[in-house]
Amino acid sequence: MRANYQVNSGVRFQMLSDDQLEELFESVLHVLEYTGLEVHHEESLQILKDAGAWVDGKRVRLPSYMVRRALELAPRSFTIYARDGNPEHDIHIGPGRSHFGPGPTCPNFIDVETMERRPYVKSDVPLVAKVVDALPNIDFCESLGTVDDVHHDLGATYEFAGMFPNTSKPIVAWSYDKYDSEEIHKIAVAEAGGQEAFERRPNYIHYCEPLSPLVSTEDALDKLIFAANHRVPLIFTPCPIAGGTAPVTAAGIIIQAAAESWMGLTIAQTLQPGLPFFMGGVLSVMDMSNMILAYGAPELSLFMAGITELAHYVGLPLWQTGGCTDSKALDEQAAIEGSLSAYFSALTGGDLCHDVGYTESAMTGSVFQLAMMDEAIGYARRITRGIEVNEDTLAVDVIHNVGPNGHYLREQHTRNHYKTEFFYPNLCDRRNYEEWEMMGKQTMSDRVVSRVQDILATHEPSPVKPETEKVIEEVLASAEKRVK
Amino acid sequence: MNETLEKLSTCILEGDSEAAPGLVQQALDDGVVPKTILDEGMVVGMNEVGDRFRRGDMFVPEVLMSADAMQSGLEILRPELVSSGVKLIGKVVLGTVQGDLHDIGKNLVGMMCEGAGFEVIDLGFNQKPEAFIDAVKEHQPDLVGMSALLTTTMRAMGHTIKSLEEAGLREQVKVMVGGAPVDQAFADRIGADGYGSNAVAGSDLAKRLVGAG
Ligand code: B1M
Repeated sequence: MRANYQVNSGVRFQMLSDDQLEELFESVLHVLEYTGLEVHHEESLQILKDAGAWVDGKRVRLPSYMVRRALELAPRSFTIYARDGNPEHDIHIGPGRSHFGPGPTCPNFIDVETMERRPYVKSDVPLVAKVVDALPNIDFCESLGTVDDVHHDLGATYEFAGMFPNTSKPIVAWSYDKYDSEEIHKIAVAEAGGQEAFERRPNYIHYCEPLSPLVSTEDALDKLIFAANHRVPLIFTPCPIAGGTAPVTAAGIIIQAAAESWMGLTIAQTLQPGLPFFMGGVLSVMDMSNMILAYGAPELSLFMAGITELAHYVGLPLWQTGGCTDSKALDEQAAIEGSLSAYFSALTGGDLCHDVGYTESAMTGSVFQLAMMDEAIGYARRITRGIEVNEDTLAVDVIHNVGPNGHYLREQHTRNHYKTEFFYPNLCDRRNYEEWEMMGKQTMSDRVVSRVQDILATHEPSPVKPETEKVIEEVLASAEKRVK
Repeated sequence: MNETLEKLSTCILEGDSEAAPGLVQQALDDGVVPKTILDEGMVVGMNEVGDRFRRGDMFVPEVLMSADAMQSGLEILRPELVSSGVKLIGKVVLGTVQGDLHDIGKNLVGMMCEGAGFEVIDLGFNQKPEAFIDAVKEHQPDLVGMSALLTTTMRAMGHTIKSLEEAGLREQVKVMVGGAPVDQAFADRIGADGYGSNAVAGSDLAKRLVGAG
């Protein structure tokens, strides 16, 4: 028996001390109580007022006890379920677990045949979902684009209808307003077997965004209230830009973003105590030469790590960001920026890391970037899994048995562990020069492209129930009527 | 070049809002005509700012400090320019269109236009076509600038141009558009007079559209 023995089973990463986190936490409460936010939503104003908020016109200040209570109510651990019951596709949210997936709504897409950038269209949706379904290190699905070739108000509905049958990994669904939120929900509930069954085993997450600085908008809150009333796990994620729509300093942007998220948290927990809630979001810098929000900046990783630590300090899961790039091509820049942010995100244990596969600063979605990042995430996951120390892994006996001048190739110990101890690359090449030459001197991007094409040609996601297929058709037909 | 004008141009380049009004006043006291103060003092400084920014030698916050210095100098100079019959560079009515909440890009365009000497009337975000119409009637601008960041709200720029036509106001203003998903082809399609790919291109375009570029 070991006594008084501490185990670190993964790589430990902590940036901020408890004192610093407490200071950040108190600062968020201060902003919410003294500065307050604008809330552009009548019903929410009433909900907040009834719950004890100070409301002056649209300006809402939250006494800190309200926020503490909301934080208390929100769960740290819960499960989002695969629609088909495949336990491998369930997502268990909880301490020390990070998950990855693409981002939403880019206007453009890298065509999988021509490799050219063009507007994102409806037929891209099932294709992205299939690739997500097949990639081992991608855990949830978003579509990487805004469908351009349907009625513009129906983009989100068509997107969900296209993703849902093509992956059983949980989907993170955005929407324009409560109407498409409702359409999406109908499809998910049909597959779950009714509202009550859905509440027990939610199979998707709803995503909405406040406006930085310090505004909760009408559409965002319409969607939030829809999700809360139907007990759909919720992401409320701002997208502040340091030096533009948020303070230029890391600590400053983190507390502003948290304040924006927690206004949503407070409304959601008042309406639906215990609703699974992720705080957000995308925190990065304004590039002061090119005037863009930089998705490949090191500060993105740093800000995201800081807000992840704050979220975990208060017992909330976080909507992380990584695997994205400002590059326009599948090139070295894309690999560096994407891999480093994915790795950093994995280190933080940030709960759902999105925007994997974003290129050109969120303007263009790419399944190639996504597939390349799948490899980087696998690599990162092997590192963060860490070193296991026990009698077996210490291998003292094995060392003794093999002794000087021996080898380990035939050892049972090797046979027992080589599959789990080592990471096996899908894309990185470790052949010797001659073999590499013989295989056509393929580069990383060549291999990424063939992997994606191979998945598209061979992967069969598990189908939805026949009833759900019918519901999807009905939902799309009635959505078309809605916008006529 | 007059020594005061040289100081004024340096002061704009260095973004010194406090010194600018005093230097403008000093130039006026020296007897320099208002238009010369503008063209050979302030604009010289601001052009250098533009060049340095394009070369990557200056950053956005510095450019905005210069724009502020330009505006603080103009506060003294504007009435003198008006009374000496000089046409000011122009007035811009600017807004993010209906349904769209993205506004930091629009804010940047506005500040860059101020730096170029324009008077900017910023309507804010999520602005209906009627808001642009009312603002054109009220402020009589030379330019209407619209920003949209969503493929869904880009259409609202076209609708706003139509509304300007219907209100009989299209002829009296130039229209410029911008925002991440917007491009020249789209601007042409909806009948805008120009498209700016970023905030500096936007203010350069504004200058060109009023014949000052
Ligand atoms: C008049 O003449 C001119 C001339 C030049 C002009 C001009 C006018 N206007 C701009 N310019 C030009 O000059 C500026 C400086 O150089 C530039 O301005 P920009 O505004 O482009 O640049 C800024 C300085 C920095 N850039 C930005 O500020 C925008 C960054 C991104 C990430 C972005 C942000 C920050 C936000 N968002 Co939004 N957002 C994205 C953006 C991705 C991207 N790469 O653009 C984009 C635009 N958003 C998108 C979406 C979908 C959405 N967003 C939404 C919300 C938001 C936030 C509120 C969270 C936030 C805005 C906060 C704010 N205060 O502005 C939602 C819509 C809200 C609404 N109704 O408007 C929502 C629908 C999200 C959702 N799924 O719920 C995507 C659009 C997709 C599409 N098909 O159109 C998007 C490309 C991101 C993505 N991949 O999802 C030039 O374009």
